[in-house]
Amino acid sequence: MTLPDAGKTAQPEVGAELSMLVDIGSAWTKAAIVARSRGRWRIVSQVAQPSAWGEADLRSALVARLDGVVDRRVASRIGELLQTAPRIACHTPRRVGRIGLAGVSGELSGASARRAAESAGWTVTEAATADDGRSLTARLAALQAADVDAWLISGGFDGGRADQALEMAGLVATARSGSRQPVIWAGSADLAAEVSALFEEGAVQVVDNPRPDATHEQPIPLRHELEELLQRMVEPGGVRQLTPVSFRRAIAELARSTMRSVLGVDLGARYLTWVRSDETGDAESRVFASGGLASPALLASGGSARLARLLPMALDELAVADALRNLNARPATLPQTDDELAVTHAAARHLLSQAAAEGSITEGLDLLIGSGRTLAAAPRPAQAAQLLLDGIRPLGITELAIDTAGALPPIGALEDGEIGEGMGVLRDDLLVPLGVAVVPRGGRAGQVTMRVSVHRIGWPDEGPIDVRHGQVTVLPLGRGQSAELDIELGASVSLGGPRSGRQVHATVTGGTVGLILDARDVPLAAPRRTDDRRAVLAAWHDAFLREPTSTLVGNR
Amino acid sequence: MTQPTLHRVHVPRGASAVVSVGSEVRPDDVLAHHRRPQAPQRVPMTGPLRVSPPEVAALLVARPGAMLEVGDPIARSAEGRQVVAPVAGLLLGISGADGSALLAPLGPEEPVIGHVRGRVQSIEPGGINVDVPGALVRGVGGTGAAVHGELVVAVHDPGEELRAGAIDVGATGKIVVGGSRASAETLTRARAMGVAGIVLGGVLDKELRDFEAIQRRRREVGGLSGSFGVLLLEGFGKVGIDPQRFGWLKGHAGSMASLFGADGLLYVYDAEVAPGRRTLPRVGERVIAHRRPFQGRAGVLVAELDDLHATPSGIQARMGLVRFEDGRLAPVPLANLEATLPVPPA
Repeated sequence: MTLPDAGKTAQPEVGAELSMLVDIGSAWTKAAIVARSRGRWRIVSQVAQPSAWGEADLRSALVARLDGVVDRRVASRIGELLQTAPRIACHTPRRVGRIGLAGVSGELSGASARRAAESAGWTVTEAATADDGRSLTARLAALQAADVDAWLISGGFDGGRADQALEMAGLVATARSGSRQPVIWAGSADLAAEVSALFEEGAVQVVDNPRPDATHEQPIPLRHELEELLQRMVEPGGVRQLTPVSFRRAIAELARSTMRSVLGVDLGARYLTWVRSDETGDAESRVFASGGLASPALLASGGSARLARLLPMALDELAVADALRNLNARPATLPQTDDELAVTHAAARHLLSQAAAEGSITEGLDLLIGSGRTLAAAPRPAQAAQLLLDGIRPLGITELAIDTAGALPPIGALEDGEIGEGMGVLRDDLLVPLGVAVVPRGGRAGQVTMRVSVHRIGWPDEGPIDVRHGQVTVLPLGRGQSAELDIELGASVSLGGPRSGRQVHATVTGGTVGLILDARDVPLAAPRRTDDRRAVLAAWHDAFLREPTSTLVGNR
Repeated sequence: MTQPTLHRVHVPRGASAVVSVGSEVRPDDVLAHHRRPQAPQRVPMTGPLRVSPPEVAALLVARPGAMLEVGDPIARSAEGRQVVAPVAGLLLGISGADGSALLAPLGPEEPVIGHVRGRVQSIEPGGINVDVPGALVRGVGGTGAAVHGELVVAVHDPGEELRAGAIDVGATGKIVVGGSRASAETLTRARAMGVAGIVLGGVLDKELRDFEAIQRRRREVGGLSGSFGVLLLEGFGKVGIDPQRFGWLKGHAGSMASLFGADGLLYVYDAEVAPGRRTLPRVGERVIAHRRPFQGRAGVLVAELDDLHATPSGIQARMGLVRFEDGRLAPVPLANLEATLPVPPA
């Protein structure tokens, strides 16, 4: 007698250990599959696609990427396995927090309050200041017409009374009449009680003045209060899964576990998130509500002209304006031509430099990480490196990396104790190292800014390489390769921080781009004359994109 | 017939609705009345209350935003001294300089016109929601106020530019469907001729800014009357209206429509569903391309390419092969394509 399956060896069903990391952005969704391969957890597949395409297509795309590389025993079931795989996800806030602003001075208190609100992730729907040239009733009409979730009032220096501050608070109280939106008073401490008396009891939250006097700005307490308020209002169920929050947590853990000072920038369609963490994991983050590539801020008057000046090619300002408008209208589309890519990259550089200019410290960094599709999925890694360097100008010797898989934000959405573990198991795949940049400040046109000698074990020494002011040179230094650098700085040149001497020695590690010797000064110095500037920008662009040549070809 | 679309008519805070839930409204109906505060009158407080300016706020018995009648108390001291409203008006607050109360008499009633036809579904602070029985066409941008009028088509071809000469007195009070662009001069002339609104495939950002600047200047000198809106359907630059959409609009010439330029919306009343759009087109579907170099061109997606392919800019993307209506065959990132959905048969 023969049993139906006699002669066949019973095959136990082979399983697979998989997880999905998903970052759902306002325009693009990034997803990665993490799987155990030869005993180690690796990122085995990744995709990015417009968020509007939905979850089912995301899974199909991931399955398609695994075709041919996955174990044959599970190949037919990979879609089903993915559907049931643990999913670690984060997302951009589902709706924008809208705030109405009233201040005394557009240049001082109003500007400080606006910066604090925007860097905390709010969108300023209406701003009225006592010096905006409108009548009291016109200001009231504008505030009454504004559709907002909360109000922010500022004005007056500490220790003094700003007469108009009370009037502006009265206008907000009138405009808000009948509703229960929260109100923050961030002005002169002396006026706090009077302002609070204009509203119902408990309506006003008093926060430290971001502009305590004419010369100082102290935005952090206000920013923190606004961040907490936004999180309470927009995501009352919890904020760990919000990308700006999870990105901050991931960067903080990365800094703590590697004992390095890290700056992470996540440039998305709607937001720019800027996180700086010291070696202990103490992180400070800013979420720029108007910092994304599709933000209306880029469309403001003069925006296209400003970006046209950043282009390495002659492109009509009108074409730049139309490209920006189309990017704003359809943020999930891709720049298909070189011109449109150049406009997108110019916009990215501009937004990064704006964020850097708003009081963020960009020196003394050990590692600079770029995240978000424009940075992490630039056609060539050298373009990502140039975007980071042009936009942020990290003074000193800084490693550069990109979050190609978009894995950092989802990992930051894990529980506190699990983030480090997640990073530990994915340490080889989490970031793509671009290399290291040496960015000094100072120097004079035509003179040598730095003279660099490169020593690598097993390789002939390179250099000394003279890098003149305004020049950028890229040398090959592959991923995982280490090199010793001897840097001699020119007169009046500094690498910032504690490196005050003219002789600097450093050990650096390479990446897909290599060693970037960037003597273009901080901030970036480009010629004013259009033709000269364009030629210089094109030369910088070429220097990054040219295949790095071993020693000194053309550098002496 | 299409299902009604919920449209929110924004009303200023403090306005009072004159319609109720369930009311049928027409585009030119007044939905609410709003009275703007006039220049405020200063009511002395420190003298009558015998306090210093910083003490006034704590003694207020009416809060800013309160509507006061003559004789209503504004503030009262612990000793029973009281300041009352000398005129009826809206309390705007107190002056930090001298502690006086700012009381603004209200101006005449101003109507809030909805510019939509339909049934009032709900009324809430800041807005009145109306179920609109019309087909909704969403654009990608625009400018100007809400307007309504009869739909007319002023070009023969969806790729044709709308010229100033195509606009005459016959277009007064109407919503004119143009083609691929219109200059600032054309838009200015249209407004001057009393055209209610313009629907275009695209417009150059500069032309739109120039037009807005002209309007701003005219408003400042007080030479502007009536409302005018512009709606862009496809994108910025010279971009023709998708022929399918253009055909649909042409088929509804003569219908009443409401245009919301700043919100990028057009309602065409009593029309069947407008040609829709869907991201991620399937092979065989009719598509419209966005972004240069194929912006605004229609075709058919004939294949989806395996694996990722680089665009001319170098970006790796999922690509589709599109046979454009001019016969060209070109690879285009799927992210830059939308399927244009046919109008279901009535």
